[in-house]
Amino acid sequence: MKQLVIHPERCTGCMQCELACSFVQTGTFQPSVSVIKVHVFDEQASMAPYTCFQCEEAWCMTACPVNAITIDNVIGAKVVLSEVCVGCKLCTIACPFGTIFYNPESNKAFKCNLCGGDPACAHACPTAAIEYEDSETKDWVGPWAERLNESFLTALAGEPS
Amino acid sequence: MKTTHLIIGAGPAGMAAIDTIREFGDTSPITLVSSETPYSRMVLPYFMDGTIPEQNVFTATDDYLRERNVEPILGRTVTSLDPGGKAVCDDGTEIEFDDALIATGSSASRPPIPGIDGESVFNLWTLDDARAVLAQKGGEIAVIGAGFIAFTCLDALIRLGARVTLVEVEDRILPRMIDEHGASLVRSFLESKGVSFRVGAQVSSIEDAGGRKEINFADGDVLEADVVITATGISPNLGLVDGSGIETDFGILVDDHMRTNAGNVFAAGDIAQGPVIGSDRKEVHAIQPTALEHGRIAGANMAGGDAAYWGSLLMNVVDVQKLQIASFGDWLGEGAEVRTVENDSRPVYRKLIFQGEVLTGAVFLGRPDDVALLNDMGMTKGLIQTGLHLGEWRKYLDRYPLDIRRPYVASKAAEKLLEMQLLNKPSIPRGYRQPDPDPKYWEYHDVFVSTITEGE
Repeated sequence: MKQLVIHPERCTGCMQCELACSFVQTGTFQPSVSVIKVHVFDEQASMAPYTCFQCEEAWCMTACPVNAITIDNVIGAKVVLSEVCVGCKLCTIACPFGTIFYNPESNKAFKCNLCGGDPACAHACPTAAIEYEDSETKDWVGPWAERLNESFLTALAGEPS
Repeated sequence: MKTTHLIIGAGPAGMAAIDTIREFGDTSPITLVSSETPYSRMVLPYFMDGTIPEQNVFTATDDYLRERNVEPILGRTVTSLDPGGKAVCDDGTEIEFDDALIATGSSASRPPIPGIDGESVFNLWTLDDARAVLAQKGGEIAVIGAGFIAFTCLDALIRLGARVTLVEVEDRILPRMIDEHGASLVRSFLESKGVSFRVGAQVSSIEDAGGRKEINFADGDVLEADVVITATGISPNLGLVDGSGIETDFGILVDDHMRTNAGNVFAAGDIAQGPVIGSDRKEVHAIQPTALEHGRIAGANMAGGDAAYWGSLLMNVVDVQKLQIASFGDWLGEGAEVRTVENDSRPVYRKLIFQGEVLTGAVFLGRPDDVALLNDMGMTKGLIQTGLHLGEWRKYLDRYPLDIRRPYVASKAAEKLLEMQLLNKPSIPRGYRQPDPDPKYWEYHDVFVSTITEGE
């Protein structure tokens, strides 16, 4: 199954993924409704995008009281069926990855649906930090961020609380 | 030989168990006994305020159950249960079983107040309760109890045009959902929206007065209303296990396989007192996610699997007049280290609770359009759920309590979470859906604009 593969070391923080995501998903250039978020690590001058892993447990899907979240059989994405969603926000507190959100304007939950198999973020990324290809799911950014922050944490440990 | 399953209760726990038994390939007969037609209690507020039609609260049809080889006995209650393999219903019907799941949920408590059983005094817990309240005339509603249950229906009542007064015996609102400071912010906000409050108010009686209701308080005060709703807590429906030898405390005690002390009898949902994340104590968590997890674990084990539960995490979210209130885990944080942050210009409040290097609870308050202040709730839940030792990131969060993302990512919470599978296999979409549209890409969101040209 194709996944969004993140290469954090390639990210330049240009935010084009967020703009492309929000535009394709909502028709507006509004990073606040983008379902891919660029994390900034100031002290290391590094950035990395982070989005839904389409995880196998599918916490959002299993928590939904009206079964408004399902799996797209073709692309494997967990998708919100807007017509069924009542906007109760339970998925937004059940997802431990923090990758499903509530839109107060539509009163619906929204998340990455892989744009139906042609993710806009991967298209928009000028440095191929986001690629859509056959892969296992894994924590793309975590191990990189852990190494990145080693010296930062060491310095933090020496500072008074 | 095939095992005959008995599922008692058609709420989320019972229905999740049925789906899971079939998901595991177990085709043996299932009998479902329920006093009510299967529906989702959580969506009742959305039925009440007209967001969805009544038919959309139901979580199964006769056809759905028949297709799954489930024999429904609806409108009946199991009154006694013999773990030896026999249950008796209120009409005398006897049902034999090899294993059984007790998922009879909970009932709204009725405080012992004179007049509480009078006309125009309602619980707001079941579908029938919701229908009864909707049939009332008159725009002034008094809700006795200002906790989470009252808040789940508060927005619907306001949207229906009611003027609402919340009456609470404790000296503040939401006493079992968020901390005192958060509650005071909620109260101020809702007062500005026209909601009235009476806290520290002991109701002594409810009386009829010229077609309306009068609530009399112990201090002599009187509150008039057209309709009175009681929302003073819930209690597990334990009646059927009296004399069965099944161990109970506040609820039915279950192990990490959702088994009671009678090995072939399971319990799940609001009635089950089971394992809790980060605690040795067993607790009843009367919340939807726990009911579903309980039901899935019980179903898997009834189907011959070996699924162990990592424990329930208390969490609640409710939205009133576009103020979102959420809490997780040990939100009270008594005896714990606490970091709070707020914004004086509007109702924005966050509280993080730590035990040493571990995040154990949180409170979030904010308007949904305050996206940056609410959209890391899920990550916060992930940190609490995994019990990750944050190391120096603990100190970082003391300085920057709004920047959960960085500690979350750099602590590799996602790596740990990707390994967590409740049933040790990928989840599949669960059961019944109404309406049942085929997924269409352009319906996933309100607007879908493709940037991709054909053949590219």
